[in-house]
Amino acid sequence: MNGIKLELLSSKEIQDICDGALVILQDVGVEIFEEQAKDILVRDGATFEEGRIHLPTKLVMNSIEQVPSRFTLYARNQNNNVVVGGGSPLIEPMIGRINVIDLESGQKRRTSIADVSKLIKLADALGNYHVLHSGAVMPRIEGVPEGIAHIHGYIESVSNSSKVIKGSGRGRQVAEDCITMASILMGKRTEDLAQEPPLFTTINVISPLRHDRAQTEGLMTYARHGIPVEITSEPQMGATSPVTFAGTLIQQTAEVLSGIVLAQRINPRTPVIFGTCAAAMDLRKGLIALGGVEGALINVAHAQIARHLGIPSRGTGSNTDSKVLDVQAGYEKTLTLLMTVLAGNDIIFYPGTIEHALTIDYRSLLIDNEICGMALRAARGIDVNEQTQAIQLIKETAFKGNYLGKRHTIMNMNKELFFVELTDRDTREDWMERGGRALDEIACERVKEILLTHQPDPLPESVRRDLMSYQREVEQRQRSTAESE
Amino acid sequence: MNRTEVIAELVEGMQELDEERITKAVEAAQDSGVSFDEAVSEGLSRGIRKIGEKFESGELFLPHLVMAGDLMDAAVGKLSETLAHQGESVSSSTTVVIGTVKDDIHEIGKNIVALMLRVSGFKVIDVGVDVPIGDFISAAESNNARIIGTSALLTTTQFEQRRLVEQLASQGKREKYKILVGGGQVTEAWRQEIGADGYGKDANAAVRVAKELVEKD
Repeated sequence: MNGIKLELLSSKEIQDICDGALVILQDVGVEIFEEQAKDILVRDGATFEEGRIHLPTKLVMNSIEQVPSRFTLYARNQNNNVVVGGGSPLIEPMIGRINVIDLESGQKRRTSIADVSKLIKLADALGNYHVLHSGAVMPRIEGVPEGIAHIHGYIESVSNSSKVIKGSGRGRQVAEDCITMASILMGKRTEDLAQEPPLFTTINVISPLRHDRAQTEGLMTYARHGIPVEITSEPQMGATSPVTFAGTLIQQTAEVLSGIVLAQRINPRTPVIFGTCAAAMDLRKGLIALGGVEGALINVAHAQIARHLGIPSRGTGSNTDSKVLDVQAGYEKTLTLLMTVLAGNDIIFYPGTIEHALTIDYRSLLIDNEICGMALRAARGIDVNEQTQAIQLIKETAFKGNYLGKRHTIMNMNKELFFVELTDRDTREDWMERGGRALDEIACERVKEILLTHQPDPLPESVRRDLMSYQREVEQRQRSTAESE
Repeated sequence: MNRTEVIAELVEGMQELDEERITKAVEAAQDSGVSFDEAVSEGLSRGIRKIGEKFESGELFLPHLVMAGDLMDAAVGKLSETLAHQGESVSSSTTVVIGTVKDDIHEIGKNIVALMLRVSGFKVIDVGVDVPIGDFISAAESNNARIIGTSALLTTTQFEQRRLVEQLASQGKREKYKILVGGGQVTEAWRQEIGADGYGKDANAAVRVAKELVEKD
């Protein structure tokens, strides 16, 4: 059993897409809004023509060769360390969004720092979540002063989980702050973090073919420290990329590769992740169709392309455009998640979200954990060997009873079957007796229970003190900047 | 083609998104006696408004709308070369300066709003993406605009929308302009918080709000 790998493209088609991307990088180029990045690329063989950086194929291929095909992210609790590119998909729920659905009222409101701590605590408790998007990536948290949300967000996140916590890459200073806080968390010097990176970040290329200033600064900062960067393209088919799948894949591949080249030129062998959050645009509405089948198909092809290039990949799953946890949310989430997991993307982002991934729902975070469990089980595939074929057992048991009490059943059931925790399989009578409630209501209750009872690994007091002292330092810096302006 | 036929062809050519028909009508315009203003306001604009209506009713999709905008641009460009302008009647419609704020280079939403505004009869000055506040203001001043529209997709760049309101106020120009805000995370509450005049949750709403703001004048 090697697990399932869903495939859509033939080797020839993958090669065509990659060749197309190389043509785009060489002939069309990319626009980069950060001056130093342009200088570095030109120094290393790129050309600057008509405002765009053109990347010769040789430079791109050399850079791809330098990318590690797998690497480890180190958590505060080493049992939570994860291998990226190790064959099993890692799930990254989304936490840091500006909006959240209030658990009591069911209404949408701004995400506060208390929400960050609760969402992280919930994700810490849920076994199918491996790396955590965090409060650090939030440019705004309700009640936190402007400019220091990433500090509060990071501290609140590491205080409530010992899993790997993501940092922000929006701007040089914000990136440096996150890296410094991660070094405090691990009790290491920042220059030693590259050996055992305790964080990573995501930067988004703006389709078509543009790198904005702030995120390029972030990419460069993480790369200089040798800390993993996920470079993600987010085209909307028909609007910011061609309406055809092949055209979108070519443009997206070119976009991500351009970021990868920059990272490798700054610091060879910096771990990078080949990312997508592509979807179609709903051409009647002018809005993203994040839960659509198109994005799911792109995810499958994207994973194949990444494997071909030998670079770990990131896709999206559990996507929905629905505003509530209804049937639409259910089918969109399952469709997008199952396809991306079966495709073998290494990191899968978006569980916990509704409404084009703009809003976090506590209940969704819980329910998606269960769907993720099923999808991960599906990806493990079917084991066929003497033990699992059970021919002797069938001979002994058939016509003489059933398999329920057999040792073989007890020995293998946990490995073979997926035991649900939320999904309802009661008889109608039992279900009615327990209140006859829909899953979202039950999820609400269960979330509250977990928040009340789950105890994350406590953050050592000395670490908390050092992080708070860094927070004060940044607050002082903010005040001085404000005064000098 | 006579004057009436040219106008009819421009309307229908736009409605059908038929580049060839539009091109022929544009070529025939000079000898037909039609004026630039007639060709644009009675011909092309009427046609593109029909496209806008069909988009709103769901009969046509966004790509049709964008194509109509491009056809209109090309036709207006050619007409302005061959036909004499008569005063300012076409450009006397309300001018909107629109752009994406500094440090933000997302443009698809802004482009759709700009297009819908044009389809609805506004004169639109698109100042592009990553636009500093000063450039919004100077474009508005030099084009005698009535509305300034800012788009911000990122929560980090949304603050620029507030800074525009503040800067206009500090320059004593706040009353001169109506300020429209839009973008991924922008809400009515944000509009109120920063004291902007209008918020459009989507392109159609933006046009509706822009019209209301101007009608109040």
